[in-house]
Order: sequence, then structure tokens, then C-alpha cells
Amino acid sequence: MTDVLAADRIVLGGTARTRDDAVREVGHVLVDAGAVRPAYVDGMLEREETAPTYMGNFLAIPHGTLGAKEQIVRTAVALVRYDEPVDWGGQPVRVVVGIAGAGDEHLEVLGRIALVFSDEDKVARVLEADDAVAVLAAFEIVDGS
Amino acid sequence: MSTQTLSTTPLSRSKRAQVRVQKFGAFLSGMVMPNLPAFLAWGLITALFIAVGWLPNGILGGFGNADLPGAWQGAATQLVEADDGTTFRQYLGLVGPMVTYLLPLLIANSGGRIVYGERGGVVATIATLGVIVGSTVPMFLGAMVVGPLAAWVMKRVDAIWDGRIRPGFEMLVNMFSAAIVGGALSVGAFFGIAPVVTRISDFLGGIVEFLADNHLLPAMSIIVEPAKVLFLNNAIGNGVLVPLAAQQVVESGKSLLFLVEANPGPGLGILLAYTLFGVGAARSTAPGAIVVQFFGGIHEVYFPFVLMKPMLIVAAILGGATGIATNVIFGSGLVGPAAPGSIFAVLAQTERGSFVGVILSVVLSTVVAFLVSAVVLRATRRRDLALVAAGEEDGLEAAIAQTEANKGRSSGALSALRVEAEAAEAAESAAGHPHRGPIQTIVFACDAGMGSSVMGASVLRDKLRKAGVDGVTVTNTAVANLTDDVDLVISQRNLTDRSRHQAPHADHRSVDNFMNSPVYDEVVRLVQERREASVGQEATS
Repeated sequence: MTDVLAADRIVLGGTARTRDDAVREVGHVLVDAGAVRPAYVDGMLEREETAPTYMGNFLAIPHGTLGAKEQIVRTAVALVRYDEPVDWGGQPVRVVVGIAGAGDEHLEVLGRIALVFSDEDKVARVLEADDAVAVLAAFEIVDGS
Repeated sequence: MSTQTLSTTPLSRSKRAQVRVQKFGAFLSGMVMPNLPAFLAWGLITALFIAVGWLPNGILGGFGNADLPGAWQGAATQLVEADDGTTFRQYLGLVGPMVTYLLPLLIANSGGRIVYGERGGVVATIATLGVIVGSTVPMFLGAMVVGPLAAWVMKRVDAIWDGRIRPGFEMLVNMFSAAIVGGALSVGAFFGIAPVVTRISDFLGGIVEFLADNHLLPAMSIIVEPAKVLFLNNAIGNGVLVPLAAQQVVESGKSLLFLVEANPGPGLGILLAYTLFGVGAARSTAPGAIVVQFFGGIHEVYFPFVLMKPMLIVAAILGGATGIATNVIFGSGLVGPAAPGSIFAVLAQTERGSFVGVILSVVLSTVVAFLVSAVVLRATRRRDLALVAAGEEDGLEAAIAQTEANKGRSSGALSALRVEAEAAEAAESAAGHPHRGPIQTIVFACDAGMGSSVMGASVLRDKLRKAGVDGVTVTNTAVANLTDDVDLVISQRNLTDRSRHQAPHADHRSVDNFMNSPVYDEVVRLVQERREASVGQEATS
């Protein structure tokens, strides 16, 4: 799991104020990590236009279109947290999980994130975590259950 | 009165055979029916723009010479040989490409869809192009064979690795397997199927030609009219006659074959005879049926009138044969299918120089059918009246039921007739009964099947596990890959309509919030309730 979502791909003080900027912000984390080529971010923005990835409970999971898949170098997940909610088509989003899924490794991580975000107590733990390691810990609780 | 002729042993051999033929007929018309607008559009364009049309146009009609000085150079052209052996560039136009490519490809797509959904339709279309370009005749028959066949092959190939693709690779594998299978079948059809279909097409055309050459064309009514009354009309009309007729239009600009099945005359004659000489409900219903049949073009409404007095089939055959004979004598025909077979549609598709022959064929077939029906009805009138007086069922109700049984499902026009006849029960639509049994498979559908649905499925799986429910499979997919063999589909609100379309027999739920939607708890409850209900049923039965 740490392979797919590592502490160095978790940003706790996101600066974006709009949905598109937030997608770019999390996209750049993936680019900097060498997981995707810059063109993948365009695919993420395109996908957001056609079908927003707001999931509920302050969570959005931007990812590229099917066509952008070839821009993925390796499977990775990045997370950006915002202190103030970002307006995601009228919905408040505080955690943006960017997904670059080339194989199936990310599906398990996605499932775990889903389970955390379906439980409001656990969501609070992610929102209140002091650092990246604490965020990972919040997910690892699920891991151990 | 005629109850003995109506009663059939359920599941008798002939009945089973008939059901099979009808299923096949339904399949054929399922390929053609959805595309009738395209046939009609082609018919209208042909009626307007060909050299003998109402508004002849060399560019749209595809007969103009683009090499003439000052000719419009913006349109597609093809090199053709003139009578004197020289070549010139001729406009492609709409008529040729539509009948050569558009119509067969549409048929192939519909046929593929019936067999294997959207994916089947795409593969069928790719493969059918191989038959089209591998032959020189319009490939309607080829499309009807190769389309469904290609979809079936795709279905088989998919089954080989169904469930064995690593998650995340499904789309890649699906795209390329369809591309490779479609491409290969296209090449295979080019070499393997096209020559066979060309031969079959020639053979069928040969029968029609034989009948035409020997002035036996009217004999077709002996086959067509009884088939019509048994609701095999679409299999014959759309499956055989329309494609053959379309070929004749290419050759001679018109075809009387379009009128063999669509001529509203025989039905009108029979209904007129009932109006004047019938008894009871049949007599009072006939005038309304005339409007629906003759002007509305829904021939089905006169079928029960024939079924309750099978001798009337003779009237239909003789009427139909008269119509064909009239068109043979006058050399008249239609330029496209008259569908539905209304008098207006017939006149709209009548070839410019054929109005006398076509109108006369309708009138004469009406007269002949009317006279024969009148003789039949009058011969039995006294007995029928006595039966009505004795308060016995006058046969119409039973005949309508028989007609519906023949059709295999309730027809709207027939139901209206029944309501009119006895102002009673509304017929039930055969379409879409949402799933009501125990829920075993739940599918989360999202746009691409990569993100949202994965998360939704995880959450629901967790909730079911916590509720102690097992034996329920929760999976995720893209809406486009949704199949109709699941019990419950959950999708984002804006995708639910599409989901419903893909899986009409499943139960559907919409969610706005994938993380903690109240729908999840509702689904858990639903699964539990259905399970208890079915256990209860088994216990009591």
C-alpha cells in the first residue's frame, strides 16, 4: 500500500481555490513523483468536465480519461488536503485523491480510501491528521481491520 | 360458430414449428424494423432525385456527369463507363451509397445488437462491410446473415477469457479483441461469405424472376397472405420482399414487390364486407378497423377478422393476387417500402409514372376481396345470426385472443380493437418487468468503470458484510459494459437512464453521494427482505 500512496505524495496544505486548480495541484504531485507525464493532467481535467469525481464526504477522486491512460508511467495515488473546502460543482471538497491507475494495484487502495470516507468518524481522523504519516495511519487502521 | 377451427392443441408440433418460424420472423423484423426510417428516407430521396423522380437531380441522384463544362466539382464522383465505351466522372449521389452501404450496415448493426448488445452491433458492422465490398449486389441478405453471426462469434470469443482479465486491463482487452475479431471477420466475410450470399441472393431473385417471366407473380399471394394473417408478414415483407424490391429499384427505378405485402386493398375489402354483411360485434367493430388499417396502415387489425372465419383467407389471397396482377399489367410499382402499409404511404412511394396502375391495384384488390368475403359471409350469415341470438360467443373475442397468441405478445392495435369490441380489460405490455426476486448480483456502474464505481462497490460490500449478508456479488463496471443479467444496478443519478436502457430487467437505484448514501442502507434492507420473502415462499410451497 505504501508503494501506491506514500508519505511524499501527501500534501496537507493545498493552495488551490478552484476545482480545476485542485486537479492540477494533485496532478503535479503525480507528475513530480514521475508517475505520469504532464499530458495526463489534461486528461484529468477533461474527465472532470464530463463526469465530476466528487464522491461525497469532502472527497473527490480525479483521474484521467481512458484515452489518457497511456500517459501513465506507473500506478500511483496522491492526496492533497485543503484547510478550506474547495467548491467542487457546488459540493465542498477537502481531500483530493489523484489516481493514476495503470494496473490493478490501485483498486485495493481505492477500496480502502472508500471505506474510510464512508465513515464520518474516520473522515474526521483524516481531516485532523497532523502530518502525512498520521494520514497514512488513518488509512492503515482500515488496513488492519 | 368457428370455434373448432380456432382451437389448437397447446404445444402441438405445428404450433411449436410456428413459434419457431415466428421467432425467426421477429428476429428478422427486429433487424429491419428499427431501420425503417432509413429505408423510408432512402425511398423519399430516391422518389425525388433519381432521373425519373419528381425533382431529378444529377448530383443528389447520382446520375449527373461531373466532366461536363461548368459542372459542380465539390461533390464525390466515381469513374463510370458511358454507352459509347468512354469513361466519365459521375456524381456518387445519395441513392447508391445509401442502399449499398448505409442500409445493410444499419441492418447488420441492429442484428448484431440483438445477439450481443452494442459491442455485437459494432463488430457486426465491421464484418458486414467485408460482404458489401466483396460483392456487386446490395448485401441486405449478407448483412442479415453476417451481422448476427459476427456478433455471436464475438460473444463466444469474449467468453473464452471472461473474468480472467486482470482488473484495469478490461477496457484495453475489450477494445482490441473487438477490433481484431471485427477486422478478421470482415476479411473472412469478404472471401468466404460474400460469394455464397451472392449466389443465394441470385437464387431468390431467380424465383421472383421466374414468377415474373411466367406471369406467375400473383401466385406469391398464396404464400404471402396466409403468412400475413399469422403475423409472419414482417418476416416476408421486410425479410424477403423489401430487400429484393430494393434491388429492383436500383435496376429499374421501381418495384411492385413493395406492394405485395403492403397493399391495404385486401384487408379493406374484407372489413367492408364485414361492415355490410357481418353480425354482432364483428360488424360494429369493422368500420373503426377500416380507419386503422387503410389509413393508419396497421394491417394487424384485420387479421382477427380472417382468423375467425378462415375461409376468408381465400378472399385475401385472391385480392392480393389481383393487386399484383394489376401492377404486372400496368408495369407499375413503388420506389420504396410503404411502411406502414397505409394508402397514404403507398401513394407517397408510388413511382411517378405508376399512379394509374398502383391506385387501380389497390381498388381492384379491394373489390375482389370484398366480393369473395361477401359470398363467404352471406353463406354463413343465418347460422351466425342464430348463434348471436342464442347468446353464444360470436367468435371475435376468441379470434382476437388467437391472433395475440399467434403474435406471441399483445399488440397495441389489437388491444384497442378488443376494448372497442367489449370495452373491457386493458392489455398488459410485455415490456420491462423489473427484477422482483431475491438479489444475488449487484453492479455499480459509472462512466468509465475505473474510479467511482470501485469505491461505491467497496463501501456497499463492506455494509453487506457488516449486516451479515453473504452470497451477494457486488461488482463494478462502466455503464457501456453493463449487461442485462444482473439483479440490481446502482449508478450516479445522471447515468441511471442509460443504465436502465442497458439493463431493462434489473432493478435500479441512483446515488448522488458514493460514500454514505442512504441508498446503501436501503439496498441492504432490500436484499434481506427479498431473501426472507423467497425463503418464505419456498417454505409455504
